Amino acid sequence: MPLAHPKPSRTWPWAPGTERGIGLYVHIPFCETKCPYCDFNTYSGIEALIPTYMAALRAETARWGDLLGHPRVRTVFFGGGTPSYVPGAEMTAIIAAYQSAFDVMQDAEVTLEANPGDVTVEKLATWLKAGVNRLSMGVQSFDDALLKMLGRRHTAQQAEIAYGMAREAGFTNMSLDLMFGLPEQTLAQWQESVERVVSLGSEHLSLYGLQLEHGTPLEAAVRTGRLPEPDQDLAADMYQFAVERLAAAGYLGYEISNWAKPGLESRHNLMYWRCESYLGLGPGAHSSMFGVRFADIKSPRGYVAAVRGMAGARPESGPPLTGRDIVFEMKAHGPVDFIEETTEPMARAEFLMMGLRLAEGIQESDFRTRFGAGLNESFAGVISGLTDDGLLKSDQQGIRLTPRGRLLGNEAFRRFVEAAEAAPPTDARI
Amino acid sequence: MKQSHIRNFCIIAHIDHGKSTLADRLIQVTGAVAARDMTEQHLDTMDLERERGITIKAQAIRLAYTAKDGQAYELNLIDTPGHVDFSYEVSRSLQACEGALLLVDATQGIQAQTLANIYLALEHNLTIIPIVNKVDMIAANPEGTAQEIIQAFGFKREEILTASGKTGAGVPEILEEIIARVGPPTGDAGAPLRALIFDSKYDPYKGVMAYVRVQDGAVRESDKVRLMGTGVDADVLEVGYFTPELRKAESLGVGQVGYVATGLKNVRDCRVGDTVTLSARQASAALAGYKPLKPMVFTGLYPVDGESYPALREALEKLQLNDAALQFEPESSAALGFGFRAGFLGLLHMDVVQERLEREFGMNLIATAPSVSYIVELTDGKEVTVDNPSKMPDPQKIGETREPWVNITVITPAKFIGPIMELVTGRRGVYVKMEYLQSTTRPEDGKTPGQNARVLLEYNIPLAEILVDFHDQLKSRTQGYASMDYALAGHQAGDLVKLDVLVNHEPVDALSLVLHRSNAQRQGRELASRLKALIPRQMFEVPIQAAIGGKIIARETIPAMRKDVLAKCYGGDITRKRKLLEKQAEGKKRMKRIGSVEVPQEAFMAVLRLDRD
Ligand SMILES: Nc1nc2c(ncn2[C@@H]2O[C@H](COP(=O)(O)OP(=O)(O)OP(=O)(O)O)[C@@H](O)[C@H]2O)c(=O)[nH]1
Ligand code: SF4
Ligand SMILES: [Mg+2]
Repeated sequence: MPLAHPKPSRTWPWAPGTERGIGLYVHIPFCETKCPYCDFNTYSGIEALIPTYMAALRAETARWGDLLGHPRVRTVFFGGGTPSYVPGAEMTAIIAAYQSAFDVMQDAEVTLEANPGDVTVEKLATWLKAGVNRLSMGVQSFDDALLKMLGRRHTAQQAEIAYGMAREAGFTNMSLDLMFGLPEQTLAQWQESVERVVSLGSEHLSLYGLQLEHGTPLEAAVRTGRLPEPDQDLAADMYQFAVERLAAAGYLGYEISNWAKPGLESRHNLMYWRCESYLGLGPGAHSSMFGVRFADIKSPRGYVAAVRGMAGARPESGPPLTGRDIVFEMKAHGPVDFIEETTEPMARAEFLMMGLRLAEGIQESDFRTRFGAGLNESFAGVISGLTDDGLLKSDQQGIRLTPRGRLLGNEAFRRFVEAAEAAPPTDARI
Repeated sequence: MKQSHIRNFCIIAHIDHGKSTLADRLIQVTGAVAARDMTEQHLDTMDLERERGITIKAQAIRLAYTAKDGQAYELNLIDTPGHVDFSYEVSRSLQACEGALLLVDATQGIQAQTLANIYLALEHNLTIIPIVNKVDMIAANPEGTAQEIIQAFGFKREEILTASGKTGAGVPEILEEIIARVGPPTGDAGAPLRALIFDSKYDPYKGVMAYVRVQDGAVRESDKVRLMGTGVDADVLEVGYFTPELRKAESLGVGQVGYVATGLKNVRDCRVGDTVTLSARQASAALAGYKPLKPMVFTGLYPVDGESYPALREALEKLQLNDAALQFEPESSAALGFGFRAGFLGLLHMDVVQERLEREFGMNLIATAPSVSYIVELTDGKEVTVDNPSKMPDPQKIGETREPWVNITVITPAKFIGPIMELVTGRRGVYVKMEYLQSTTRPEDGKTPGQNARVLLEYNIPLAEILVDFHDQLKSRTQGYASMDYALAGHQAGDLVKLDVLVNHEPVDALSLVLHRSNAQRQGRELASRLKALIPRQMFEVPIQAAIGGKIIARETIPAMRKDVLAKCYGGDITRKRKLLEKQAEGKKRMKRIGSVEVPQEAFMAVLRLDRD
C-alpha cells in the first residue's frame, strides 16, 4: 500500500534502528522449476536475467550501505528462490559487495538455502570460501513419491548424498527442511522422514506444515479433488510425533516450526521473531527499521529497472539523510515499492504475534522496554482467556504458548492482534 | 368506451396449463403489443417469474378488439398464477371480472387446481368459458379432456372450445365467445365513484399506486379521493391502464381496470381490498373487500446484519403493498436478534417473498425453519396461539396442543392409488373419499374403470406433514401424474412436542421445532448431525444435543480443534501475516455466538436452509 502522507501524525517512540546490528536478507528469485505448492516470489525460465539481476543486487547493496552509513550486520541469509541455482562466482561477487557495503561482524551467521539437486563439490567449496557458514537444505521429505508430488527435482537418496557432501566440504552448521500435512502423506511416512533427519544429525531442523496457498497448482489439485485434502488432525499427530522424537534426540523446539541443537538456533530468523531490524535486498524482499516496514518492487524485471534508475538520481549534496528519510529516498529514487508506517498498536501486535512463536515467548521486561507498559496492564483479558483455554502460560517472566497453544497459535495471535490494535497507545511514552 | 362494450375476464387454470402463453396470443391477435416488443409469457413481467417459468403475480392488460360484428370493444384481461400458494391472487382477480377462461391442458386433463379455481370462479358468479388447451401436442387428447370437463362440471359439449396457445389455433373464436358470452360490467356511471383496490405497488415518485377496478362512477387526474377503509384522503396524481406497463389515461370509468397514483407515502394508508371514492362526493357504502387470509406457514425473518432491522421493516411494508397475502409482526430471538415473524400461504410463497426482499430491496436475510400455527390449551384453561416454536409454553403448563389440519384433494390415475395411500398414511393422514372423474365405464372395455382412469382422492392430514417435500414425494411416486390442492380444515389435538437444540448446553431458540412425537427422534438426530457438520471446530469440545423437555434424545460431539497455525514466515513479510490475522479476527467478530461457540453466519444459514430441503 503506497503511503499518502510520509510523516505519520503520531510516531511510535521506540523504533529499532540499525545500531544493534541488522540482519541482511538477500533474495534470489530463480528456481530451475517452480514447485506446485510454492507461492514465493520466484520464477523459473528467466535464467537469462541472472547476470543483470545479480549486478542490480550489488548496486542496491552498495546504495543501502552508503545511505545507512555502512552499519553493522549480524546475520546474512540468502533465500529465494534457490540461491544454490545461480553460478558460484555470482555468489562470491554479491558476498564481496555486501562485505564492502556493510560492517559485517566477525562471527556473523551467513546462511545459504540450497536445493539438494544443485549441490556440487565445487559450489560447496566456493560458498565456504566466500564466507557462507551455514547451509539450509530443502529436503522436504524422504519419500520419493511425495517428493514427486511436491515437484522436487531430487530424490531422498540425492538429498542424503548432498548432505554428506556438504559435511565433507566442511559445513559444520546445517539445517534441513521437512514438510508435513501433505496430501496422501501417512503418519508412517512422516515418522520415517523424521527418523532419517535425526540420524543425519543436522544441527537445525525446520518442519513446515503444508499451507495450501491460493493460486498454486497444489491448492487447485486439492480444491478440484485430484488430491485428497490433508487431514488436520493427522497433521497434528505428525507434529506431536516430531515434538517428542526431536526432544528425545536432543533438539530444542525453540520456535513453532524450528528445532536446534542447543546454541545453534537460526540467529537470522530470531531477528524476525524478535522484531529487530533487518534489510531485505532484491525483489519483494521485506525490511523493517526506523519504525517502518518496507519492501522492494516484486517483479524481478521491474526491480532491475528501478535499480538502474537509482544510478541517475543521486541526491544533491547536503547533509546525509537519516532514519526513515533514507527509506523514503529509496522509494522515491530506488526499488522500494511498499512502505508501511508501524504505529504503536501495530508494533505491539507484531511484537506479540511474532514473539509468541518462540518457546521463550515474550519477556515481560522486553515488552516493557519497548512499549512502556507491562503485559498484564495491556492484555489482562486476553491472557486470562487464553490461559483458561489452555493455550498460554504466564508468570513473572512473561508469557509463552503451551504445547497445545503452539498448534493453535493463530487463535492466540488473533486475540492478541485484535486487542493490541484496539488498545490506545501507551501515552506515558509519548 | 361505452360500458356495454367493455369485457373483463381472467384466465384461470392448473399450474402450467398455458395461461400466460394463451394470453400472449390474445395480445398478439389484438395487436396490443408491437411485434418487436413481444416476449414469451409477456405478462410474466417479474425477473423471478421469467427465471422460474411460473406466474407469481396476477397481471392485467387492456386489449382493443374489433369484433366480427364490426364494433370496437375494450377487453381487460387478467392473467393469474396457477400455483396453490398464489390462489389469493386468483380470487382477487376474479372479483374484478365478469368472466373467466378456464384452461385445461389436453395432455393432462383436469388437475387439482382446475377444480379449486373453477369453484372460486363459480363463487364469484362468473361466466366460465372452458377451453381445452395445447391441442397441438402429440399427446393431446382433446375429446377425452372435453368429456372430463362435461362430466366434472356439467358443461355442454358445444360450450367447450379448443385452442393452442402455441400455434394460436382457436384464438379468434375465443375472442368472439368472450364478446358473446361474458356480460358487460354492471356498474352505475352516474353514481359516486367506487373502485375496488385489488393490488398495489410503491413508486418512489408517485407514492402508493392503487390498482383498481371501477365499479361505479369515474376517477380522473387531480381528483381528490378518499380511501373508505382507512379514511385517508389523497390527490390523484395520475390515472391509467396496463399495457402491461403503466399507460397514462384521462380517466377510468365503470368496469375499467387500471391504476390510480395516490401520492401517498405512508404505505399503511392504502390497503388492498379497500374502496376508493371521491372526497367531495362520497359513496354511502364501501364495496365488499376480500376475505381475510389465514397464513399457513410462518417463519422468522432476520436481517443478517442487525442494523438493517429498520430497513427490513420498510421493505416488508412496501412488499406487502404488492403482495396482499404477506403478513408479519416483529419478534426477537436470542440467537438472531430483532426480526419479524412472517406468515405465508405456502413454502413457495415464502421463498418468493424472501427472494423479492433480497432482489428488490437489497436485504440479506436469515430465515428460521417454517412452522405452522398451534393452538395450545394451558392447564389453567387459557388458550394461546403459537406460531414460533421457541415460544411454546413449558410442557408442564400445557393441557393440550392442537395443530392445523388440511383437507387435501389429489387427482391421479387409478394405478397410483396404492403408493399415494401409503404416502399419506405414513404421514398421519386419514382417508376421506375417492371418486372417479369419468363415468365408471371406459369406452374401450365397457367394464370396470381401467388403470388409467382418473380418480379424485380426498384425505385429511396435519398441515405440518405436507409442508416439507410432500409434494415432491407425491410427484415422484406417481411419475409426475398426480396433482394436489389443499384447504385448511381446523385444528386437532396431537401428541406434539417441542424439540430443542442445545449447542454446548445452550439452547438455540432459532432452531427449536414443534413436531409429532413419532418424528422427534429422527429429526433430532438429523439436526444434530447437520450441526456437527456445519459448525467449525472450536478451541474446546462442543456437545450438540437435541432434547425434548430436558430429556436428551440425540447427541453429537464436535471435537476440539487441534491445529491452526501459520507455518512459514515468508522472508520478513510480517505485514502480510498481521493482515491475515486481522482479517480472520474481523471475520470472527461477525460470527454468530451461541454461548461461547462461534458459528459463521453462513453455517448458521446453512443449518436453517437445510431444514427446508
Ligand atoms: N405445445 C404447447 N405448449 C404450450 C402451450 N401453451 C403453453 N405451453 C407450454 O407450457 C408451459 C407452461 O406455459 P405457461 O403459459 O407458462 O403456463 P401457465 O399456465 O401460465 O403457468 P403458471 O402461470 O405458472 O401457472 C410452457 O413451457 C409453454 O411453452 C400450447 O398450447 N402448446
Ligand atoms: S525451490 Fe523453493 S522457492 Fe523454488 S519453487 Fe520450489 S519451494 Fe519455491
Ligand atoms: Mg402463467
